[in-house]
Amino acid sequence: MLLLAALACTPRDDGAAADQPRVVSVSKQINEFLYAIGAEGVIVGRDLTSVYPPAIRSKTSVGYHRALSAEGITSLRPTMLLTDGNVGPDVVLQRVKDVGIPVLVLRPGAGVDSAQMLMARLGREFHHEHEADSVIALWRAGMSQVEADSARWASAPHPRVLMMHFGQIVNDYLAIRSGGTADRILRWAGGVNAVDSLGGMMRLNPEAIARLAPDIIIATDVGFDRLGSVDRFAELPGVALTPAGRDHRIYRVDETEIMYFGPRTPAAVEHLAQLIHDGTPTS
Amino acid sequence: MVELRSVSCIAGGVRILDDVSVRFQPGAFNVIVGPNGAGKSTLLRVATGLRAPDAGTVHYGDRLASELSMLELARARAVLSQQVLPAFPLPAEDVVLAGRSPHYGMLPTHRDLEIVSEVLDLVGMASRRRQSYATLSGGEQQKVQLARVLAQIWSDTANDDGDIAGKVLFLDEPTASLDVHYQLHVLGVAAMLRDRGYTVVAVLHDLNRAVQFADHLMVLSNGRLAYETARPEDVPVEVLERVFDVRARRLRDAGGDGAYWSFALHDASDRGVSRRTDSQSGGAPATPRD
Amino acid sequence: MLKALSFGRVQWLLAIGLSGALLLSAAVGAFSFTPAAMVRHIAHALGWGALSTSDTLARNVFQQLRLPRVLLTALTGAVLGVSGTVMQGIFRNPIVEPGLVGTSAGAAFGASLVFVYGGALAAPTVIGSLVVPVMAFIGALAATALVYRLATRFEKVDVITLLLAGIAVNAVCAAGTGFLSFVARDPQARNITFWSLGTFTTATWRGVLLVGTVFIPCYALTLRDAKALNVLMLGEDEAAYLGVDPRRLVRRLLVLNTLMVAVATAMTGVIAFLGLVVPHMLRRMRSSDYRFLLPASALFGAALMSVIDVVARVIIRPAELPIGVITAIVGAPVFLAILLRQERDGVARHG
Repeated sequence: MLLLAALACTPRDDGAAADQPRVVSVSKQINEFLYAIGAEGVIVGRDLTSVYPPAIRSKTSVGYHRALSAEGITSLRPTMLLTDGNVGPDVVLQRVKDVGIPVLVLRPGAGVDSAQMLMARLGREFHHEHEADSVIALWRAGMSQVEADSARWASAPHPRVLMMHFGQIVNDYLAIRSGGTADRILRWAGGVNAVDSLGGMMRLNPEAIARLAPDIIIATDVGFDRLGSVDRFAELPGVALTPAGRDHRIYRVDETEIMYFGPRTPAAVEHLAQLIHDGTPTS
Repeated sequence: MVELRSVSCIAGGVRILDDVSVRFQPGAFNVIVGPNGAGKSTLLRVATGLRAPDAGTVHYGDRLASELSMLELARARAVLSQQVLPAFPLPAEDVVLAGRSPHYGMLPTHRDLEIVSEVLDLVGMASRRRQSYATLSGGEQQKVQLARVLAQIWSDTANDDGDIAGKVLFLDEPTASLDVHYQLHVLGVAAMLRDRGYTVVAVLHDLNRAVQFADHLMVLSNGRLAYETARPEDVPVEVLERVFDVRARRLRDAGGDGAYWSFALHDASDRGVSRRTDSQSGGAPATPRD
Repeated sequence: MLKALSFGRVQWLLAIGLSGALLLSAAVGAFSFTPAAMVRHIAHALGWGALSTSDTLARNVFQQLRLPRVLLTALTGAVLGVSGTVMQGIFRNPIVEPGLVGTSAGAAFGASLVFVYGGALAAPTVIGSLVVPVMAFIGALAATALVYRLATRFEKVDVITLLLAGIAVNAVCAAGTGFLSFVARDPQARNITFWSLGTFTTATWRGVLLVGTVFIPCYALTLRDAKALNVLMLGEDEAAYLGVDPRRLVRRLLVLNTLMVAVATAMTGVIAFLGLVVPHMLRRMRSSDYRFLLPASALFGAALMSVIDVVARVIIRPAELPIGVITAIVGAPVFLAILLRQERDGVARHG
């Protein structure tokens, strides 16, 4: 009986042509870029939390990027595993290599330049250089505009902004600190990070939030959607005591707009600027 | 032959046993009695080699108990305790088989299995050997334990190791929670072993049973040997009264061939409270079963 | 029904069941392999390349990922099954298993220490790959020894104290591990969390070798004490009277047992309840005699773990569920059932 069950599970045989790349891509940023340069056809698998653009949801998910399975990835018969390096468990990259699948780790780096180089790299890798170049050109133009526009805020008051992200592993809210991507975007938009210290993210507690006393709170999607409304968010302990909480200046922003640099960054800066300066969200 | 010489045991600053010297008569039914807290359990633990005394020596024949390995001791003596409950369900025969474990290596031999059958027969539990031990009544369980203990020191001089003369059966208040049938059964089997040449050492709580079965009676009080006799039926009244803090009367039964005792607390009649006597149930002592 | 069969017969049945489970485990998953394909892949590995297939990816997956996983799963199941059986014998109670007496939590804490502070040490060299299992062993031994000490005062094992001591030690270890994941940098914290749920995804040949090399001698040595474990069931004093030194026996078994469990836990993370379910079912199916239980729990544990891993692999493929989730879903009701039955039979207080 067990033998029959085993036999019944016939191996998948997609009969893929040898030269058509099949890529399992584990990274929100890389996935967005692939769609941006029109190379999304190479994607046969994505990680669970890569959900931008919405069309990517039709691609098979190989699981949470920190809980991957080498066999699961391999079962899609990819020609390559593409990642930004943020994967777990640690050994999974090695295991995938062990079965003969090449692994390409492209780290995005710290700045817009390196992100653009990443896109160019992707363009070369998948023979979409032309599209990549035009997207990058537009992107560059957008960034120049951002630089120019940020002069608007030079003499204007800079609101104190606290950016709150929800950490799934620690199951708690985290504050985005200075020096990173989101912080840069915030500064272009004429805001100042309520958190001075440099680094990635910081655990919060109600007293810390109250002490930071932000004028505005930017909450990323998962953290905001858990509570569902500005009113409920304003009731969080600590938040209620801040100017942002009292004035209900709490805004929802999609994580993918601010957590990495991409072609949408210029629009994200503008979006953020509108939110924090006159309080009206752009469309 | 088991002998204790000047044995003392101290725990928590208290002398549980104080310079006790006893010699258990070989091939006899030795009985130790004494009030609670007299040190009987400790004496037994020392005599069986489970616990080393803080002072004095324990002798098994011409060797010291401390020199014997646990396995050698296990082949020389067996101990029947008050109540043993295995942690998991086992058939009665497996409990008995555990008694043979000092005698075989990995697997029991044919002879071991034969002995198990013989002892189960002896205690009258042969028909129940497959039954789960936990489902037996208290008395039946004790019969099975007795069988196990017998199996441990079973000796058919033609076949088995050692001879009977060196073997000792210890009984540690084995009948405390049993009805009179089982009390008499257990002690009767022990007496039968004595008849075959085994040495029996029993700690008993029931003075009348003690007197009924003992060849050699020892009275322990406050960690000391208060009295010792080879004629238990002639224990002086004042010894019992002093040691147990009771009023004692010796009675003879109608047949005149056995003594038994009737006890009462000291101040019962002074207070006009109805006399509470403690005459052991069972009336005239029955003869030990063969 | 099984009660009518001899020990040997039942063990044969279990062995057959294990073979089936292994076959299933080798066949099913994100990749599927027919028995014919398996033979080809194994033949190729042994050097008989003539029979090899053109599907090198499938072959690599089978040789590098699937086969070590099948073996590691079975070995871990055997370890946990035997461990639960032995622990129950040592503590003379059917509620005991490595998860409850601190062994797994201690191993987790020891391993987490390496994850967070031992970065340089735990390199993928031969020595480096031993650091985690060694620390896991130390942690497991310390935790279990503490529970045993606390639970056996006055020469008796008190079940209530045992459970409470287990809870306490588990809590301390969990707090330690929790603190470590709090202070850990991101990649390390990921390791700890992921590993706390138990997984066979990371099975490697090296892991199989390590667990196998530890399990086989530990199991063989434990087997020699089957008779002594039977005797110990009567009680510590009774065992002593029968020539078995209970203290030495327990110490010996505890060390062997903890070693096995710690090494397995170090490879695969914390997997609870298997050590509880396996002996429980075997006792009910056939017997509490350790001459039967020890081999049977190895066979049955291996089979059960294999089947559970298949479920974990298949249910949300190509992603995977953590093993610990499934064993908890199956094991927790079994634990409750044993507890209720114990209360009913009134043996809860006997050591």
